[in-house]
Amino acid sequence: MSSVILRHTIRAIILILIQVLILKRIGLGTSWIALNTDIFIYPLIIFMLPFRAFRHYVILIGFCVGLMIDMFYDTIGVHAFALTATAYARGIMLSYLEPRGGYQLSMNPTIRSLGLNWVLTFTALSMVIHSFLYYTAEIFTFVYIGKILIKTVMTTTLSLAVIMGYHYLFNPRS
Amino acid sequence: MNNLLQFVIRYSAFLLFLLLEMAALVLVIRYNENQKSIFLNSTSILSGKLYEMTEDAIHYNRLQVTVDSFASETALLKEKIFNLERSLQKVSPAEKPLDSCILESFKVIEARVISNTVNQRNNHFTIDRGKADGVRKGMGVISPHGVAGIIDQSGEKYARAISVLHSAARISASIKRNEYFGSLLWKEINPGYMILEDIPKQADIFEGDSIVTSGYSFIFPKGIFIGTVERFWTEGGSNYYTVEVKLHEDIARLDQVYVIDSIEKDSLPQ
Repeated sequence: MSSVILRHTIRAIILILIQVLILKRIGLGTSWIALNTDIFIYPLIIFMLPFRAFRHYVILIGFCVGLMIDMFYDTIGVHAFALTATAYARGIMLSYLEPRGGYQLSMNPTIRSLGLNWVLTFTALSMVIHSFLYYTAEIFTFVYIGKILIKTVMTTTLSLAVIMGYHYLFNPRS
Repeated sequence: MNNLLQFVIRYSAFLLFLLLEMAALVLVIRYNENQKSIFLNSTSILSGKLYEMTEDAIHYNRLQVTVDSFASETALLKEKIFNLERSLQKVSPAEKPLDSCILESFKVIEARVISNTVNQRNNHFTIDRGKADGVRKGMGVISPHGVAGIIDQSGEKYARAISVLHSAARISASIKRNEYFGSLLWKEINPGYMILEDIPKQADIFEGDSIVTSGYSFIFPKGIFIGTVERFWTEGGSNYYTVEVKLHEDIARLDQVYVIDSIEKDSLPQ
């Protein structure tokens, strides 16, 4: 049990470091894509949590991870807002995407365990929610709804690519 | 209590989610200049609208106070106008000295009509000012659109006035255009009309001429607009016109009136 917690903690630290040290810099630039895109890998911390994780813990973890990212991005509360909602939505989505026969104890949200289709659907939906809420909280007015939607689409696409790359590169077991 | 507890347990994940989202939003607004300004801007629009609505309601409640203050202000202004006109008349010969008693020969007291009749042979109305406010017998009462009557009895706090619609009321009035004057009285025809008598036949009158107070009686200052000429005729063989005057003020709806205290009247030899 403690090894599971340790594995997730280490993964969380590494993903947060990748996010704030590498991916944050990719967002800097003056090109159209750089201006309208961020690449988020840290929601993966939430996506990779085991199915049997208590929902309240997931929501709390989402809030804490979001706050940590915010500290590095100097946008206190914005990532926390988006990731808390994503963590809550994860529970709802899991019940909708439940495979026939329910989740088994041995199942993990990975390609190896549930297949590409399931992981792709789950990640894409979660990323749409996360990006949309993130830009809503960042821009904070629906006057620029067009800009919010463009950024949501761009960010979801690129982040999805990066997260799927992670899945294929490391092919984690849990 | 049990139900509430069950509700909390059942939706605890959702409640936690709401709580954390609220905390995140508070942080967003608290620590981000851009979002903070947008938030403050939007709420100020909302609260501004709310304040405006309450202000409207309070304002409506205070209308009576506002109206009263306007009335006393109007009384002051009228007083000034009358005195100014009076002093202008006096000053024009140029020899006469400017005296303070000339400058301030009228005092105006604002009052409110508390009872009124128009349908009797002799009509009276009562105002809510009396001796305590300086209202005495014989003072003239004017209304915003004309003359209203003359004080008849003055009590400590209330005073009764004979209305212009009274057989004993005779008001010295003149045609504004050429200053021919006569007495204005009421012939019990209609509360909206009065008769102006004793206008000499050589006066040229037109229908619609303005009738104003003449200022010869000291009861009313000169030049208060009373009404307009409706029609005029000569009673068989008379050398004077009889003029029917349509009153500008609806006496039946008297409300705010002003009592005119002519100081000069007292200095006149009786």
